Amino acid sequence: MIRQSLLAGAMLLSAGVRASAQFPPTPPAGTQPVPAPFPPFQEAVLPNGLRILVVENHQQPVVSIQLAFTAGSVLEPEGKEGLASMVAGLLTKGAGARTADQISQAIEGAGGSLSADAGNDFMTVSSTVLSPALPLAFSLLGDAVMRPTFPEKEVELLRTQTLSGLEVERSQPDAIAQRALRRVLYGQSPYARSPSPASVKAITRADLVAFHRDRLRPGGALLVLAGDVTLAQARRLTLESFRGWLGTPPVPAVAKAPPVRSAAELVLVHRPASVQSNILVGNLASQPTDPRNYALTVANRILGGGGDSRLFLILREQKSWTYGASSSISRRRAFNTFVASTEVRTDVTDSALTELVRQLRRIGTEPMPAADLENGRNALVGSYPLTIETASEVAGAVANARLYGLAQDYVQTYRVKLAAVTGPEVEAAAKSFIRPDQMAMVVVGDGTKLYDKLKGIAPTTIVDVDGKPLTPADLAPKSAPLPVNLAALQPGVDSLAIMVQGAPLGAVSGRLEKDADGFTYVESTRLAGFVEQRTEVRTDGAFKAVSVKQAGKIQGQETKIDVAFAGGRAKGTATTPNQPTGALKTVAIDTTVSPAAIEENLIQPALAALPWKDGATWTFPVFSTGSGEMRQSTLTVLGREAVTVPAGEGECWKVELTGGPQTAHFWISTAAPHRLMKLTIVGTPIEMVRVR
Amino acid sequence: LLAVVLCASAAAQEPGRIAIETYRLTNGLTVVLAPDRTSQVVAVNVWYHVGSRDEARGRTGFAHLFEHMMFQGSAHVKKGGHFQLVERAGGMVNGTTSEDRTAYYEVLPSNQLRLGLWLEADRMRSLAVTDSNFNNQREAVKEERRLRIDNQPYVGAIAEGAYALADSATCFPYAHSVIGSMADLNAAKTADVQEFFDRYYKPGNATLTLTGDFDPAEVKGIISEYFGDIPAGAAAAPAECAATYSTGQIRRRWPDAKATLPAVLVGFRLPEYRSEDMPALDLLAMILGQGESSRLNRAVVRERKLAVVAISVANPQGPRRGPGVMLTLAVANQGVTVDSLEAGIMAEYRRLAAEGVTAEELEKVKNGYRTQLITQRQEALFRAEALQQASLYLGDPEAVNTAWRRYLAVTVDDIKRVSDRYLRSDNSLILLITPEASR
Repeated sequence: MIRQSLLAGAMLLSAGVRASAQFPPTPPAGTQPVPAPFPPFQEAVLPNGLRILVVENHQQPVVSIQLAFTAGSVLEPEGKEGLASMVAGLLTKGAGARTADQISQAIEGAGGSLSADAGNDFMTVSSTVLSPALPLAFSLLGDAVMRPTFPEKEVELLRTQTLSGLEVERSQPDAIAQRALRRVLYGQSPYARSPSPASVKAITRADLVAFHRDRLRPGGALLVLAGDVTLAQARRLTLESFRGWLGTPPVPAVAKAPPVRSAAELVLVHRPASVQSNILVGNLASQPTDPRNYALTVANRILGGGGDSRLFLILREQKSWTYGASSSISRRRAFNTFVASTEVRTDVTDSALTELVRQLRRIGTEPMPAADLENGRNALVGSYPLTIETASEVAGAVANARLYGLAQDYVQTYRVKLAAVTGPEVEAAAKSFIRPDQMAMVVVGDGTKLYDKLKGIAPTTIVDVDGKPLTPADLAPKSAPLPVNLAALQPGVDSLAIMVQGAPLGAVSGRLEKDADGFTYVESTRLAGFVEQRTEVRTDGAFKAVSVKQAGKIQGQETKIDVAFAGGRAKGTATTPNQPTGALKTVAIDTTVSPAAIEENLIQPALAALPWKDGATWTFPVFSTGSGEMRQSTLTVLGREAVTVPAGEGECWKVELTGGPQTAHFWISTAAPHRLMKLTIVGTPIEMVRVR
Repeated sequence: LLAVVLCASAAAQEPGRIAIETYRLTNGLTVVLAPDRTSQVVAVNVWYHVGSRDEARGRTGFAHLFEHMMFQGSAHVKKGGHFQLVERAGGMVNGTTSEDRTAYYEVLPSNQLRLGLWLEADRMRSLAVTDSNFNNQREAVKEERRLRIDNQPYVGAIAEGAYALADSATCFPYAHSVIGSMADLNAAKTADVQEFFDRYYKPGNATLTLTGDFDPAEVKGIISEYFGDIPAGAAAAPAECAATYSTGQIRRRWPDAKATLPAVLVGFRLPEYRSEDMPALDLLAMILGQGESSRLNRAVVRERKLAVVAISVANPQGPRRGPGVMLTLAVANQGVTVDSLEAGIMAEYRRLAAEGVTAEELEKVKNGYRTQLITQRQEALFRAEALQQASLYLGDPEAVNTAWRRYLAVTVDDIKRVSDRYLRSDNSLILLITPEASR
């Protein structure tokens, strides 16, 4: 007994000793955080109303400058969307005594940059320079802001580039989605608007001059400097470079408010052949100065603010539907907006949207688990030092507080107020400002595959990528004759073995011959004990059917087709198995045949003579002689695959044929001449492989 | 005169020196420490010297897929635990894969430094590989491919088409894309993951870099405790590439179903990053296609109005130990054909070959290069990346303090020499990107 307990004690001891030298099995806790007061900054307001903000950091010899004006796109007159961006773009394209090229040479020659950009609410002129070039940067900045010349040549160049930029945007699913969300979310408010080719063409030089004259004034503007610079230096350079700059922008007319939504609404933006769906859902949230914003920020963090959030963990890590899913609160001067987004493959779009909405509902209706609250709050409080690591980040945080009219001590108290947020506050903020039942939802994707699945989720309207309304009927693919290249229709034989679960049970051969009148295609099928059939199709020189004759047996029953085509009509009789019972039925055929249609037996020989390429897809009219009916089929290249069959191996396009009684997959060699190498009937064990 | 004076004084400005301590653990792990206690941020950065260049045929995209698996849990961390633990501690975490390396980082408030080191050590010593995690991440990567490439205009040409610059027969490592093909992603097996880990994720094949707010003496103790007993393992054979130059121009059409405007991608084969020619080639790319006053912007965008944008970059996905690339992408203005855009770009290359560059142009991009360098030194994560790059591609982290001098020493004649040698028509790839109407 004693010996045993001694032994146990020794083992424990040694285990203890070993464990102390071993890798710790649980994550180490953080040490006590060093208190992190907000870094110091200095502010001054000049007599002309310009506010200067300086964050000093002399470690590296570089300075970043930002001069912000309340001159964003919401102030553009209706019908002139794009005006603020064009003004911004032109500030550096001729100013004072310098041309555009002289400006760019001067600033870039010194290793710096100078540019301007317009957002929704603000226009910002930015520059980064090595500190010795600060006087040059100020002199260029003063010219750009006070004395832009708007040369006609530069106006036209920027207009052309803006129009091309809009064209590029039409190809980017995220840009299309953002534009659609703005439209539906903000309704009649100016925040809803986006530039269009018409609005950009309508902008005149006089519009540009007037917008600049009214809006780029020192009253209410904010000049922010960060880095190797002092306030005294900034003040001196500003007085030198902005001599005689006066005035305050006129108070803008009160803009229309965004709509109050009583129910969810879905806009499906049809982007043909899109391989993913971009999903955006959003609603108007709080005022930027609302004290509940601290709690809302925590709620958003828990819901979709990172890799530890519900949206990411569920939609990506659990469901494998997406690369990313997130949500955010974005500021406008008049209100905040809540938006959640994800991009998913087409076939899970409805599931992903439903799950997204479910998570939005949960956050405002279920009690907030203490652990979630703590994790979300800790993440925000703990990460604050990361957001103010550099002088320009510090300056940006202060600038935002000033521009959006937040409390004077906002940056100094932000972290403390965030840390004090409680569970009930988070629930209340989420309930008020994340409202799944009043969301604007946007899905950008292939409408042909999405509309039926989405329309049950919320009342759905369809638009094209330009925002033009579409009807469900518009989504149907446009039918056109299959583009058979007659020159590539060469006489020859396709011989395929019919394999069922790996065993050869039959054969199909298709022989194409050419004579003075046209083509003859003879297809013989033999599947031991089940099918014995011969089909002969004669065509004219344009590969249009002249006659179809078929004779044979299916499971012992005799089948027969004898149909002739003339004058746009098909006449004759067909005895074929009735789908799906298999019982034979005989129909008398006397019907109109569209001249655009291909006879269904001719699809297979036509495969060698189509203009194949990656992504090719054709929807085309087909005449089914067996049933005497017209229908539409679609051939789509799904991708490339390496294929090995008895006749050889090589790269093939995998092609899907839909619209017939069964979906079939064909493998067509990518090398010319394009040959049918393999064929499967989806949902059956039948596979046909080329033997020669 | 003012500009000349300014340039002269700007030239006196050098990037601040980074104080570095480098050492190696007995298991081969290289450690680079660069403390800087002016902020309360610390960056933990681990580079494994493995990337798409190490992938076998039929397994393209695997290095990147593997990177995702590094977030699926290890002996003491559950699936997704990296995101959870780091974000709850107020940090950020991610991984990236390029041709040459796979990078993992945590940026943390400095009181959480131990957590970052512990997480990296746990997955260096053990990785949780299961079928369900693997299939889940395979799907995430396939969505990433759709998101970033298949559903976007122009990206396919850059992220896949440009790899035609390397000859697949002699240099497969640089002849296939990092994201890999859908077919190869589908073909990858769970067993491949463990094998890849065992082969490449060894201490001797990795460099651990710390920058920011920490005490070096204390940190060395933690590193030795967490990483010291990870078995060294055998060194993996390096990827093999016989680089070939001037083997003839490749010129092909690149139909892009997602594009609305035509575009032209021009690529040239470059030497490996440590080549003496690279500083001049980097600066040449800046002269050609970076900034408002760059040649392509002035001639092709502004004067001839052929393009809405035209940019040139050497090694856009980061440096390489093997042969690099210089890429130029120009997107046509409305109504401009792909052929006239191509002709406009080629005219600039001809002008370059005939006239070289001016001293002013060279001085300008040197100043721009210095500003970039200095700006990027401000954040702990960027400093860590710079140290990793110096270590892997130039053989010594200390190069972070000296390599920029190679750039400032480049002469107009150097530019002429490298331009004649590499920016030749028979050393180029041209992709003519044309919008293909979709359904």
